[in-house]
Amino acid sequence: MTRLSFVFVALLITVPMSLLAQKEIVLETTDLTLDVGESRQLSAYVTENGEKIESPVVFRSRHRKVLFVDSLGVAHAFKPGKVSIIAFTRGARKNFEMIVDFPPLAEIRIDAIPDKVYAGTPVQLKYQVIDQAGLVREGAKVKMTSSNEKVATVDAFGNIRSLKPGNVKITSTIENIENTISLNVVKNPIVSVELEAEGYEARTGDVFHFKATALDTKGNVIDDAPIRYSFEGVADDVSTTASGLIKQDGRFVADKAGVYTVTASTGTATAYKTLRINERDVARKIELVGQGTVNDKFTSDLWVWEGQDGRDYAVTGTWSADGTAYFWDVTEPSNIIKIDSIQVDARTVNDVKVSEDGKVTVISREGASNRKNGLVILDTSNPRDVKIHATYDKNLTGGVHNVFIDKGYVYALSAGRKYYIINIKDPKNPFAVSKFELDTPGHSIHDVWVADGIAYSSNWADGVQLVDVGNGIAGGSPENPVQFASYAYPSGDNHAACPFRSPSTGKFYVIAGDEKFPYAMNGNYLAGGYLHMIDFSDLNNPEEVARFEIPFAGSHNFWVDEESETLYATFYNGGVRVIDISGELMGDLLAQGREITWYLPGDPEGFVPNMPQTWGAQLHKGHLFYADMHSGLWVSKVEPVKPKNAKIETK
Amino acid sequence: MKRTRRVLFALIVGLTIQVAHSQNYYIYVTAESEDEVALVKFDGKKAETIKRIPVGVWPAENEGPHGITVSPDKKHWYLSMAHGNPYGTLYKFETGTDKVVGSTQLGLFPASMQISETTGLLYCVNFNLHGDMVPSTVSVVDVDEMVELDQITTGAMPHGSRLTSDGLKHYSVAMMSGELFEIDALQLKVSKKFNLDEAGMEKMEKMEGMEKMEEMDHSKMDHSKMDHSKMDGMKGMKHSKFKPTWVSPHPTKDLVYVAGNGSAQVYEVDTKNWKVTRKFETDKGPYNIDITPDGKKMVVSYKTAAKTGIWDLETGKELARLDNSQKVTHGVAISEDNRYAFVSVEGIGDDPGMMDVIDLEELKLVDTALLGKQAGGIAFWKQEKE
Repeated sequence: MTRLSFVFVALLITVPMSLLAQKEIVLETTDLTLDVGESRQLSAYVTENGEKIESPVVFRSRHRKVLFVDSLGVAHAFKPGKVSIIAFTRGARKNFEMIVDFPPLAEIRIDAIPDKVYAGTPVQLKYQVIDQAGLVREGAKVKMTSSNEKVATVDAFGNIRSLKPGNVKITSTIENIENTISLNVVKNPIVSVELEAEGYEARTGDVFHFKATALDTKGNVIDDAPIRYSFEGVADDVSTTASGLIKQDGRFVADKAGVYTVTASTGTATAYKTLRINERDVARKIELVGQGTVNDKFTSDLWVWEGQDGRDYAVTGTWSADGTAYFWDVTEPSNIIKIDSIQVDARTVNDVKVSEDGKVTVISREGASNRKNGLVILDTSNPRDVKIHATYDKNLTGGVHNVFIDKGYVYALSAGRKYYIINIKDPKNPFAVSKFELDTPGHSIHDVWVADGIAYSSNWADGVQLVDVGNGIAGGSPENPVQFASYAYPSGDNHAACPFRSPSTGKFYVIAGDEKFPYAMNGNYLAGGYLHMIDFSDLNNPEEVARFEIPFAGSHNFWVDEESETLYATFYNGGVRVIDISGELMGDLLAQGREITWYLPGDPEGFVPNMPQTWGAQLHKGHLFYADMHSGLWVSKVEPVKPKNAKIETK
Repeated sequence: MKRTRRVLFALIVGLTIQVAHSQNYYIYVTAESEDEVALVKFDGKKAETIKRIPVGVWPAENEGPHGITVSPDKKHWYLSMAHGNPYGTLYKFETGTDKVVGSTQLGLFPASMQISETTGLLYCVNFNLHGDMVPSTVSVVDVDEMVELDQITTGAMPHGSRLTSDGLKHYSVAMMSGELFEIDALQLKVSKKFNLDEAGMEKMEKMEGMEKMEEMDHSKMDHSKMDHSKMDGMKGMKHSKFKPTWVSPHPTKDLVYVAGNGSAQVYEVDTKNWKVTRKFETDKGPYNIDITPDGKKMVVSYKTAAKTGIWDLETGKELARLDNSQKVTHGVAISEDNRYAFVSVEGIGDDPGMMDVIDLEELKLVDTALLGKQAGGIAFWKQEKE
């Protein structure tokens, strides 16, 4: 044996056989297709170099919501679809696919079939295809036919075009499922339509309420006549397009100045009304008044108040820094003076709030070195000499992201899951009196705001939650918070909320803001998301009616001045925005020209120079205060509203 | 001839030293309050942050990179981001380019993790640091597809976790319930739950205390007049005195080492007999542990004391107790050649995070690299010749 051969043999002996062995998982289960609701034991064995060996095989599903494999290897099918399964044992893995069949279709469900159809009037049949598991089959294409196309035809969307009186059967078909309904097309008594609305002239953003009335030859009202509303228009500016929004209950709003014609029709009877829409003309100038620069760290939220001495003060937090909060004398907004600061064990003081009398300030803590976080209650009786009343971290160790103070109670978020209500009437001895937490799967919370005894929390996918904490509407109190209304929108981005009781309309809106950074995965700082205007006037049926969105910027915090019906909103890289929310709200508020003014607080000496990242705003004694992450505290003054057609007096 | 030998010997020694000093070591360290991961290079003398990698997708929210691990083939590194709405996220990065190549949602506050060489799966504890004191889970992730396959329920606030070197057993400790869990990494089931508070008592002089309690005359006490109001929050909860924060298995023996953050001890637990076989009295706040690959030394971060302890596992003696560069010592990772321990140090407030390099032969701190705020999770990537 040569030396080389000897070494080779020696190597073979010393290399563990396990490294040379080829293990393979052999699947024994042959039928890998299940029906919804069905379960099946999966089975496999292991071979090593082709020989079957004892080695347990474990199965797991990569799509557990479709098909779940339990610890005993039993597959349970929940929803139709293809599922990737991983099987593994010591030294081997195998991937394979299982199919959960779509259950056979069971029914084409057609709702709201009219008792009668007036010949020539529009009817749309709405249908759903239901399978045997009771699930709606999305995207199922139903074929619809008419038994007598001289009476009525039908298209693929369920639109019935009725031509003359008579009975007709409309048959819907998919696979081997069929549903036939009878429609009674009757003579159309409608000969005319009357269309009413308040006035002929308005501004962009003003909402009209059209009311169409169908009449027969004798002038009788046909109450059950289906009315279809539509509009067309020509913008004054030839370079733009007339646009707006019309609802099928007759509400109409125009975005651009121009001439619009709203039409109401039922069958061959139509009526129209032409409107003159003028520019909203709410733009005003904004003037920068002052700045309290913070250029060595990020700034977070702000609060401005009148102190016990009658002077005006502000507090700002800091973000991802050293746990400092700054206090400012803002009595002269053009001469903001930093008067004190306090540093606590934290990296972020995300939120700052001040009691109604200005004596107590609460700051939130995140990133404390002992990971206990919680909040710090400050004595701000003298904002030039701020002292700590107490710290409080019971149940708040996860970090407090946002707080609110109302009538001696602090509403403090805990770990992004719930909020605690803490009695601080004796600020040196705070104690929790209750908490509010949803019980939905994966629930989460970002902010809470309290006004008139109602706590408005922003709960991401669970939307805005209205909780009675003393209003009386649902018998709640701080000790016994009672949820009584909510609204969630599909994006799940709800980050902030604030009520707005519109004096001019009597409507009760809640403004809900998003927070999202849709471009961040590409390393882009631009924010996204917008403000949702939700009409809560009917608490049981809240309706999202309008939006305010700045392209390529994202909403953050905002402040409502109900008296002037003005919204002050910060949009991160979009700076601070001032929005006219007077009158009824509907549609795209930016397109309607409701933006009064805006300001981008870029500071060449900022912590991040010349780059606005605006956090929050507050109106105080006619001045607009706002905090910018990259540069600190800013104050601007929005030009007062000038009376239209005011005469200029000359001597 | 003798002179020639001497010259040859000197040459060999010189070359050996040269080789030893020409190694470069690369370590990934998280900065939890900076939303950043640092890549640190140590050349045997100097430690330097050579790359700062921003992580997360919320520029105005702190997402908290906490746990970090490098795949056995060293081609990818994985990062657990603690905060979400409400669940945390696991990110997969490519080593070298440090680009995100995948992500998946895990549980509440995912923390420490490791990939099994045997199953190829990643096991990550869901710390649920900020939640109620309820049992949490260990997420099991298929890192090829970045899909969470399972969540295995363990104890309250599971924090430290490591796999055995064969990748077949996963150990984790639940900080608040004071339990050590062994998970069968193949079967994905808890195979053993071990109460560390009780186990610790077995060898302690508990009779002494017990006798004193028994001597008390409870008949004279009116328990109804005692203030129990402060105990409301304690209902159904257990707060471990031992407060285990980390567990590391021995590379070759059936032993695991558990840091008792609350009792200033490290327990050596025999996982064949499930007995505490040794107790190491440490400085305040032992937090993380790593064992040298040769199994000879144990390095323990003392979080509260801001020190690092180096222990000889053979003799059970603490060889050195070194001051760290600043306060709040956090994680430990050891080089493949057993030579260096890399220790992350959080700091307080806006202190920069730091990574101390400790020479485990010379038993001294060699150098410190500066990082972002709250340096925490740490993972050794590779060592290579220059």
